[in-house]
Amino acid sequence: MNSNFSCKTCASADQKLETFISNLSVDTSHHRMEGQSVKCGFGLQGICCRLCSNGPCRITPDGPKGVCGATADTMVARNFLRAVSAGSGCYIHIVENTALMLKKTAASKGVLKGKVALAKLAEIFEINEADEHVCAEKIADMVLADLYKPDYIKMELVEKMAYKPRFDRWKELGILPGGAKSEVFSGVVKTSTNLNSDPVDMYLNCLKLGISTGLYGLTLTNLLNDVMLGEPSIRLAPVGLRVIDTDYINIMITGHQHSIFSYLQDRLIQDDVIEKAKAVGAKGFKLVGCTCVGQDLQLRGEHYKEVFNGHAGNNFTSEAILATGAIDAVLSEFNCTLPGIEPICDELKIKQICLDDVSKKANAEMKPFVFEEKESQSNEIIDAVIESYQARRGVVTLNMDADHGNDDTLTGVSEGSLKSFLGGTWKPLIDLIVKGEIKGIAGVVGCSSLTAGGHDVLTINLVKELIAKDILVLSAGCSSGGLENVGLMSPSAASLAGPKLRAVCESLGIPPVLNFGPCLAIGRLELVATELAEAIGVDLPQLPLVLSAPQWLEEQALADGAFGLALGLPLHLGLPPFVTGSPVAVQVFTQDMLNLTGGQLIIDDNAKSAAETLDAIIEKKRKELNI
Amino acid sequence: MKRIIIDREKCDGCLNCNIACISAHEEGSNFYTVNMQSPEAETRNFIKFDAQKGYLPIFCRHCDEPECVLSCMSGALEKDPLTGHVQYDESKCAACYMCVMNCPYGVLKPDKQTRTKVIKCDFCEDKPDGPSCVKACPKKAIEVKEVSL
Ligand code: SF4
Ligand code: SF4
Ligand code: SF4
Ligand code: SF4
Repeated sequence: MNSNFSCKTCASADQKLETFISNLSVDTSHHRMEGQSVKCGFGLQGICCRLCSNGPCRITPDGPKGVCGATADTMVARNFLRAVSAGSGCYIHIVENTALMLKKTAASKGVLKGKVALAKLAEIFEINEADEHVCAEKIADMVLADLYKPDYIKMELVEKMAYKPRFDRWKELGILPGGAKSEVFSGVVKTSTNLNSDPVDMYLNCLKLGISTGLYGLTLTNLLNDVMLGEPSIRLAPVGLRVIDTDYINIMITGHQHSIFSYLQDRLIQDDVIEKAKAVGAKGFKLVGCTCVGQDLQLRGEHYKEVFNGHAGNNFTSEAILATGAIDAVLSEFNCTLPGIEPICDELKIKQICLDDVSKKANAEMKPFVFEEKESQSNEIIDAVIESYQARRGVVTLNMDADHGNDDTLTGVSEGSLKSFLGGTWKPLIDLIVKGEIKGIAGVVGCSSLTAGGHDVLTINLVKELIAKDILVLSAGCSSGGLENVGLMSPSAASLAGPKLRAVCESLGIPPVLNFGPCLAIGRLELVATELAEAIGVDLPQLPLVLSAPQWLEEQALADGAFGLALGLPLHLGLPPFVTGSPVAVQVFTQDMLNLTGGQLIIDDNAKSAAETLDAIIEKKRKELNI
Repeated sequence: MKRIIIDREKCDGCLNCNIACISAHEEGSNFYTVNMQSPEAETRNFIKFDAQKGYLPIFCRHCDEPECVLSCMSGALEKDPLTGHVQYDESKCAACYMCVMNCPYGVLKPDKQTRTKVIKCDFCEDKPDGPSCVKACPKKAIEVKEVSL
């Protein structure tokens, strides 16, 4: 087999996965890290510009400005705003598709599984409508109308969705967003060649994009999906490579747009389809979760017990999942669908189908999802997957790891399910915080990366440090995929928490790290934070609550981060977001932001000292609240 | 004895060796934090561009018969007989710049800020992993090799 690659793989916090990957005969990201270990210093600092043919220009002692006169501060700000705009565009694409899906589902009188979410949205949007389909369509229309506004017309739902003190502050700062799609456009225009050169203006623009990304791309995507697909409910579920059952025809899903799969996933468990599977020697079909769409399915797993076998792992586990040989097809609709899966799919004869051209893979079949044709499209997909199964099973060697992962990851945690778990009110949680049984809350969110020590290394070490300090961790994003596979979301992980948090967890039977699922659920954390702040009667920056995206990976994460800063929360990152070459950027993010929104960026790739810093911030906020 | 050996053809002119060298001489800095705009930021290696030949990495060769040492009258430049590296002692330097004029590779220069001392490659002697520039070169255009005299 192919052996033309580095044999040294990078470290993973997940020891079993590290061993599994290091023994593979296919090339993965974990193998490629070594060949990319020498990094460009200008790139790391954000002081390289290639916006025109006089460039690329870099800031050096002999060249302190670009040819056009751009300073390091201008270059860094332009690069950063471009990245945040692109990241925002990604999430806005997701919410646009989700709203369109809800609109069409409602218009065709389709099933709406989430009655509570529907009622909640109707209340927030002030829609008085008894017919659930009419109501859902109105909700979708209001979201779409906002997304499609020009940038000079403010979106109307921001005021309805945002916490009042935050909305007022944003208004004062002049960062209320216009139409979310247009805002992405403006961000890109502003950063083109010889346009904006004012770093502060560009960072304020980032905050504006953070607000539209957060409220629409994150929070609303969750709620709209809840209406269609059902609300999360708390339960224990299996995770890791063990969830793959070789007796079934297995489809790995990657992306962020759960609703694209909803018709197919119901179809896969209908009798005639199961019969088709049986006819070729399988017991039926199973979906295997990977990346955020897998986390999303896991979150709502209560509604999909039969078809969904569990979440196998995060973005940088996807190559390993395919390398088991037991996956017969990959259906992708968004990131994080690594280009690295393509040669593995070729080698292991795995069929790839893309349902959204934004994530078209070079060797995949393109089948753009069309709502009106979902029945015929699903049948075609099913037939193609069966064909793949027949062509490869028995030919391709299986390489399973039944020992990887665990069977008791607590999942299904959301703003709604957590509140119900607490008895329909946040009071028990607030009481525990006031008494100091829970010192504070850390939202550990975002991606998984192979930097900062290796795959999930900083994330897991940081979380261990935080829980040991009696800080409750809420997780959303690919970080969850890593945390659950190493057992930190199993109730037994309570033993790793500090004495007080441990006692709370043991009495409630919960782990010290609560699994909110996909990165989209950062929007759910915002809802939890807002509801807690409302219940206590303070603004968000006053809460003993911190955010960390220890292993942020990509542009979307930077847009999420901008949302966190707009919310006024302290935000820790393991590695700097390519801004340290600009003194103005460092000043704005680490100091001035405190006065602007109350937020603050903390950069630290050391788990121990980062946890100490976050702990000190929580202690300080507790003192200020007199608790 | 160890030397930095240059493979000119491989150089892409990325200047990572410059950053590494500046960072090696800014106490406590790394690639994220090194201040490229500081007046003290000086690189001890250079990349020149020639339309015909492409990129030319210019590094101190720690020559066998170093012209800089031979031309230095105050004893500020000396060749270490053990390591073979040519080292510079600022305290002895008279700032006459005979070395700057005599280095056949043109790698020496007076410091920008005060023009009272010479900026010279020290082979990163205080760095446990050896020359920082070599570690930072993504093309392996510069490599540390053992050479015999
Ligand atoms: S826009 Fe300015 S800094 Fe950027 S490449 Fe062109 S001249 Fe250089
Ligand atoms: S400074 Fe010039 S002459 Fe002196 S050792 Fe280095 S390359 Fe040779
Ligand atoms: S060996 Fe050290 S001092 Fe010499 S050029 Fe390389 S980085 Fe600079
Ligand atoms: S780091 Fe290597 S490739 Fe880059 S400029 Fe220096 S010698 Fe050339």
